[in-house]
Amino acid sequence: MTDPVAQRPVVAPNTPPESADAPACAEPVFRLRDVVVSYADVPAVKDIDLDVQANHITALIGPSGCGKSTVLRCLNRMNDLVLDASVRGQVLYHGQDIYASHVDPVEVRKLVGMVFQKPNPFPKSIYDNIAFGPRVLGMKGNMDEIVERALRRAALWDEVKDRLKQSAYGMSGGQQQRLCIARALATDPDVILMDEPCSALDPISTARIEDLLLELRRSYAIVIVTHNMQQAARVSDRTAFFTVDLDEGERHRTGRIVEFDSTERIFQNPADPRTEAYVTGKVG
Amino acid sequence: MGGSPEHAQRTALRIRFQEELAQTEQLALGGLDMVGEQLRRVLEAVEHQDVLLAGEVVAGDDAIDQLYRDLHERILSVLALQAPVAGDLRLAAALLHVARSIERMGDQTVNVAKLIPLDGHHPPTHPVLLEELGVMGRLVSQEIEQAKRAFAERNLEMARDLIHKDRDVNELNRRVFQFAWESGDDPDAREWAMHMILAARAMERMGDLAVDIGEQLGFVLTGQFEEFRDASHPSPSDAAPS
Amino acid sequence: MRIAPTSQRERVLGGLFRAALFVSLAVGILTLIWLIFSVVKEGWPRLNLDVLFHFPSSNPELAGAQSAIMGTIWVVGMTAVITIPIGVGAAIYLEEYADRDRWWNRLIELNIQNLAAVPSIVYGILGLAFFVRGFLGLGQTVLAAALTLSLLVLPIVIISSREAIRAVPDSIRQGALALGATQWQTIWRQVLPASIPGMATGSILALSRAIGEAAPLVLLGGLTFITFNPEGLDSAFTVLPIQIFNWISRPQQEFHVLAAAAIVVLLVLLVAMNGIAIFLRNKYQRKW
Repeated sequence: MTDPVAQRPVVAPNTPPESADAPACAEPVFRLRDVVVSYADVPAVKDIDLDVQANHITALIGPSGCGKSTVLRCLNRMNDLVLDASVRGQVLYHGQDIYASHVDPVEVRKLVGMVFQKPNPFPKSIYDNIAFGPRVLGMKGNMDEIVERALRRAALWDEVKDRLKQSAYGMSGGQQQRLCIARALATDPDVILMDEPCSALDPISTARIEDLLLELRRSYAIVIVTHNMQQAARVSDRTAFFTVDLDEGERHRTGRIVEFDSTERIFQNPADPRTEAYVTGKVG
Repeated sequence: MGGSPEHAQRTALRIRFQEELAQTEQLALGGLDMVGEQLRRVLEAVEHQDVLLAGEVVAGDDAIDQLYRDLHERILSVLALQAPVAGDLRLAAALLHVARSIERMGDQTVNVAKLIPLDGHHPPTHPVLLEELGVMGRLVSQEIEQAKRAFAERNLEMARDLIHKDRDVNELNRRVFQFAWESGDDPDAREWAMHMILAARAMERMGDLAVDIGEQLGFVLTGQFEEFRDASHPSPSDAAPS
Repeated sequence: MRIAPTSQRERVLGGLFRAALFVSLAVGILTLIWLIFSVVKEGWPRLNLDVLFHFPSSNPELAGAQSAIMGTIWVVGMTAVITIPIGVGAAIYLEEYADRDRWWNRLIELNIQNLAAVPSIVYGILGLAFFVRGFLGLGQTVLAAALTLSLLVLPIVIISSREAIRAVPDSIRQGALALGATQWQTIWRQVLPASIPGMATGSILALSRAIGEAAPLVLLGGLTFITFNPEGLDSAFTVLPIQIFNWISRPQQEFHVLAAAAIVVLLVLLVAMNGIAIFLRNKYQRKW
């Protein structure tokens, strides 16, 4: 059985860390232009311009409440679940506007996977957790093979292959999060969104997942929101720094992107003093 | 807990970081090879008064300067992005010093190379002096090679042993000075001898830089700065007159 | 800083509080045990299979409660079939689809609580007007009784099902939706299976109430002298509580003994029903 993911272009294993002049080759997987997200007509983030490249890890960092998760949830239309949320601007996925009126958010979510902050496996067996996505999507093929492939890609197969029918809740926190990653991979998305995936985990589990992300980068585009600057420094290729400000004449604080550049640049020689203040820890 | 702890310990973590640090170290040690090659060529140029070869040595220093910049950038990148601590941090700091030492060693070979054309095409040569210089050069070359091996193998004893060779190099430096002092009244001969003093001094500095590299290894392994001392030849002023 | 020992006063108060709680528990349990014990003791002479196999008769020697037993099973069974799907469906709509800010949804929520408090005789009157006569014109049948009881216990099913659905963490829904499941797929495949234990408990509560109702069923014709088992939904019927009431009202002591035996049968039915529901609940709860 062919592995559709194996057919995708792969980044060479020993690619050195991107330097500031790494070209953004090919069309970006996601392109955001002038995106504004409002809750009950109050803008939470605005002027969002962002490109997400394939085979890159893009990190979104910034203080609390600056809208990083909000922007992340635009990419798979999970913001739609919040009743009074509205999104303006362009969110292009391979050139198609995912907020166009004819687009079904369910279809978008089949192509863009998500991993949440706290591991949230279903109250089912490990096998059924992975198989859920392919089943509801009506994916054809041998389910056993699909499950094994997803678990192998998440570097979890060897640890659980003898207990696939046992409850997912019997695993440790780090394993559960890797299960959630495998679950997202099972539906063959080409983008994985991660909302602070390691903040509930211990350092060893965090390091294992970071190493996994660097592996997954070869086949997927990854966008990761993180409070942990060092994590963004360690794993990402490009970093967007968010801040939240009170605009003149406004009564509510709005989040926006201050700087979006290669990670090397952001952490060695950022262009904006606000970025410098944040990454050096002088400002929260 | 579902996962077995021993499985977690078997898997290596932070692979990209480990590889990056290892590659940077390889790059630095390769720089020592480049310096050793420069030294060998400049010695040959001195021996045969080969102006062309001297010119090549001068040109070849560009590569060493570029290497220094590359190393500097890579180490800064590791420090900024990976936040190394403990042994990794000491290694990164030591590699910065090593990079600087390599760059200075390169500059010293250029200093020697630049002395050769000054003497015209057939300068008077003092065979004994030339021989002493040759021995010095070979000793320094061995010091560089030993420093490189000691660092790569994390062998502190080998690093400490550098001080013995360096003692001999310092001694030879003094003898060259002595010979030059006694080189007679011929102005050409004296001028050439003066230049040879400068050449010897340059090589003596290279020897000191090789010892520095050994001391950096000591810092990496122990966390302490230890100035290497030669217990068998204690001397109140073991620095050569310079 | 010295750590002070627990004061004498604190210890006494703590002990008193604990004793008071224990007494509350003991009172409830002891009363229950005494009631059961006295019922069994009273009904003991007639606690044999006769009471299960015979039909009511004016002769206490020959009387049994089979028609009432079967009637209870038919009526309560049909009630379960009607009320559980409707109640669960309503709960799903209210929890998963309804917009809480709309005034009509808030009105519905408020009134469900009220409906649970309405006296059961009112439902009897309602059933008489709409199901037996009037609109549906079903007559005094099992179906009419089941529909009436369904209305009676529906609020309980809705409220407990809502609680069960609410207890499913939202992270499960988010996880399912993020995978590209539709809202319906998420509910059907994740939320509902996870909330079955809670719903089973709620259904037990509801049907336990239904099985003991006499007053509304009296209005619907359960008080007639039925000596046959129901043959279909359009059959006449009687139920155990009514039969018990019937026998208690007679002057002969033998009928009182029969009534006590019938009460025991009712309790056994109740326990059996609860047992099935608990079994179902544990089956779904077993792994997690």
